[in-house]
Amino acid sequence: MTGLNEVGFLALSGALVAVGLFGVLTRRNFVLLLIAIEIAMNAAILNFVYFAAFSPSPPAGLAGQSAAVVLVGFAATEVAVGLAIVLALNRAKGTINVAEATELRS
Amino acid sequence: MSLEEVAFLLLAVVAVLTALAALLVRELVHTIMWVAVFFVDLAMIYFLLDAPFLGVLQLGVYAGAVTVLLLFGIMVTRKRIFSREAATGIGPAPVALAVLTFVFLVAAVGELPQGPTSPASYAPAALSATLFGSFGPWVLLLGIIMLTGVAGAIYLVREGRE
Repeated sequence: MTGLNEVGFLALSGALVAVGLFGVLTRRNFVLLLIAIEIAMNAAILNFVYFAAFSPSPPAGLAGQSAAVVLVGFAATEVAVGLAIVLALNRAKGTINVAEATELRS
Repeated sequence: MSLEEVAFLLLAVVAVLTALAALLVRELVHTIMWVAVFFVDLAMIYFLLDAPFLGVLQLGVYAGAVTVLLLFGIMVTRKRIFSREAATGIGPAPVALAVLTFVFLVAAVGELPQGPTSPASYAPAALSATLFGSFGPWVLLLGIIMLTGVAGAIYLVREGRE
């Protein structure tokens, strides 16, 4: 018994999701919103890695780790598109405060 | 307490604290520094879970690429790099909602299937065989989404779009 138990990992993931949600609700800067979403997304990836490491069968474990790899790619793409939106917003409004971006057209 | 347990507890505390610090500090560049520490800390947790490929991927993609990309996003949208954010009042509602989410997520953990008690280690060769074998369609979908994302990003930031 190594002592790495599931409750600790799930509590960590839950705490990270809660921190991400807190960031999305409180901050108004677009880059900080992206960071908050990344923190919550990392919690999901951590869950995949954890359940892969402690899965009963090797194929399930490998599938879990594969899902984590694909998710990392999705999250990186999301940041790239998010930063393109940041640049477009900065050019259109002169600010990246999401509270001031109230209409879609510039 | 075993050594792994102590290491995990330390890494978990550092992860939550750095995530909170990243969202609470006023200087945006300090935010990036905290979030870089957070990503490296999660990579350490992956190494602890005997998933070295995921750990290296986390270091390369998150601690490397995403951090630099976020820093770049701040540098091109600020007149002064170290300018401070305006203070935002934190009301009780977001804190309560976050705490409620945490309590709900932990309380929702039901009976988990019994697995091995120590983390299983998978060779990167076996992982790549699964990734490009049975996970092939997902990798293809990831490629298509990345291509679409790049095309959309170029469309968003291209010159003379009015």
